[in-house]
Amino acid sequence: MSDNRYTLRQLNMMVRDAIEMQMPDEYWVEAELSECRERGGHCYMELIEKDEQTNTPVARASAKCWRQTWQVLQPHFERVTGQPLHTGLKVLMRVYAQYHEAYGFSWIVTDIDPTYTIGDMERKRQEIIRQLKEEGVFDMQRELRIPLFAQRIAVISAAGAAGYGDFCRQLEENEYGFKFEVTLFPAIMQGEQVEKSIIAALNDIYSHSAESTQQRAFDCVVIIRGGGATADLSGFDTLALAENVAQFPLPIITGIGHDRDESILDMVSNTRVKTPTAAAALLIDNLRQVLERLNNAQQRISMVGHIIIDARHRIEMLQQRLSVAMERIMTNQKHRLSQIELLLQGYDPQLLLRRGYSITMHNGRAVRDPQQLKAGDEIETRVEKGKIISIVK
Amino acid sequence: MNENAKYEEALAQLETIVRKMENNEYTIDELTVQLKTAQQLIKVCRDKLTKTEAELLEEQSKGQ
Repeated sequence: MSDNRYTLRQLNMMVRDAIEMQMPDEYWVEAELSECRERGGHCYMELIEKDEQTNTPVARASAKCWRQTWQVLQPHFERVTGQPLHTGLKVLMRVYAQYHEAYGFSWIVTDIDPTYTIGDMERKRQEIIRQLKEEGVFDMQRELRIPLFAQRIAVISAAGAAGYGDFCRQLEENEYGFKFEVTLFPAIMQGEQVEKSIIAALNDIYSHSAESTQQRAFDCVVIIRGGGATADLSGFDTLALAENVAQFPLPIITGIGHDRDESILDMVSNTRVKTPTAAAALLIDNLRQVLERLNNAQQRISMVGHIIIDARHRIEMLQQRLSVAMERIMTNQKHRLSQIELLLQGYDPQLLLRRGYSITMHNGRAVRDPQQLKAGDEIETRVEKGKIISIVK
Repeated sequence: MNENAKYEEALAQLETIVRKMENNEYTIDELTVQLKTAQQLIKVCRDKLTKTEAELLEEQSKGQ
């Protein structure tokens, strides 16, 4: 039997020959990535297939993509799917088998079909959306309202991110001089940590709010990202994150900047905008609208003041007319009286006496006809300065 | 009858008196009585305005 002994290398070489002979072709394979890392320009992956029911691995193999291929495939994959290859992704790859006597078995990757991954991601997204709707939480954020005086803002963002800087600057430099109180809750906004990190930040904000019982610590939450190199949004499309955001008691504004389809985070948030700057603009506009309403109300109140002034003016006018009318009536009446007085004066006999006329009276009556008198009657003649008593002859 | 209607009514009555006075529709005997009524109406209107204005100012200061 000793003739049949091989060295490991010899035996492995036989396996290599057998594989190369039996499986010379390239094959398209569907698999999930359970590991993926780049080293020396090559990409090293672990492929896995899980049982759909039990989720336990039923197949496993390593895979490699050599530098020259990887340089072409990587940017293409990221451009189409919007994210780098990473653990947990389902991929469709063209591979050929390679057995190396020293390094063992590997599938060598020659092509990757990113549309398969997109399809799989979309299926997962739809599944998450369906589940959120089933749980009845999908629309919960939209039942909340951004408060009128939303000034205390809790921000979830990467600490040094350019987007956060833009957001703060925009708020500070608003043309109306509104004051905002911004508190940063730092979180990782890219890659696989996104879910855990944002949920932790939300919990932090929630406990801040719970502490102050009198008043809520924050009016709303803003989740922003921007300025990052890639457009990797995969971390934002998870069920746990969506559930946390959807059920958060404060309105959440998302500005996680991207052009492709809405992320699930955007769908469940109260308001979505494209960029951190737009989020700031939204908050400023919210206050501007409140200011406008206040100014409007103030103006309308002072208009009521005008009504009072007008009414008072009207009363004054009436009073003036009243006194003018009274004065005129009194003047007219006085005038009339003095006319009568004058007229009466014309009848005053004293006036005639003064002018040299005299009046002859008999028995207290003026004598107008000599026939009225007979001889011996005593008559009285009134002149200016007295009277003369005479006897008629 | 509410306050507003009272004011409007007083104002209307006042205007009638002034108009009649301007048109010489009163006898001298009536004048004193009408003048007295007019002055009372003016007072009613003025008081109402002052009261309303004070209330408005108070509301306005609350809002500031």
